[in-house]
Amino acid sequence: MGMGFVVGVFGAVILAHAAYSTIQYRALLKIVEEEFSRPPINVVVELLLGLVFCMWAALTVPGKFLSILPHSEQNRIVSLPANLDFMIFNHRGKVFPLEMDLKLKH
Amino acid sequence: MAGHNDSSAAEKKSSELTSDIPTFNAENLQSNMKIIYYSRTFLSIIGGVIAGILGFTGWTGFIFYFLVMAITSVGLVAKAGFSIDSYFNSWNQVILDGFFSGLMSFVLFWTFAYDMVHIF
Repeated sequence: MGMGFVVGVFGAVILAHAAYSTIQYRALLKIVEEEFSRPPINVVVELLLGLVFCMWAALTVPGKFLSILPHSEQNRIVSLPANLDFMIFNHRGKVFPLEMDLKLKH
Repeated sequence: MAGHNDSSAAEKKSSELTSDIPTFNAENLQSNMKIIYYSRTFLSIIGGVIAGILGFTGWTGFIFYFLVMAITSVGLVAKAGFSIDSYFNSWNQVILDGFFSGLMSFVLFWTFAYDMVHIF
């Protein structure tokens, strides 16, 4: 999580630098009295780079996806609560049939 | 011994029946939806700043917003490993949910960045 955060901040810094470059470019255009159509190519490249970094940070920083299947390794429907005094047994888990191997006995 | 039968044909696992009841861990699903929401909001803001710096006005900016959201959808599906069955209930939750929630933030930061760079 720390690494993703650093990458995100770095992307934001790149964007700020691109904004500053564009402001200076516009000041230059004002002196030369030309129209502004688009920022120079290096600023566009910088913006794309900042977008890539921020996108990577946005996908990794909020956290990992957790599995929602009931039988996956991460999830255990049955787990002892931390406080043993307040265990509840009358819950909706009784809808599930018992997980036992049923063998026909003689 | 006549009725004794311990062949594997008589064994029955009752755990197969749990798949009849569609169940999922709701708390994890909620956490996953929150992650999607955070990602989309952050990228809407970043997209707004970029649109402002590039000087987009009018429909071009909104097209840029939909482009950023589409790339975000692809990124989220890639993050889920292209097998979203174990993380979400349906494809719509990943691709379409929150598509428009970042629009207001996008426009806010778009006008903000445009003012800072081009007008002020």
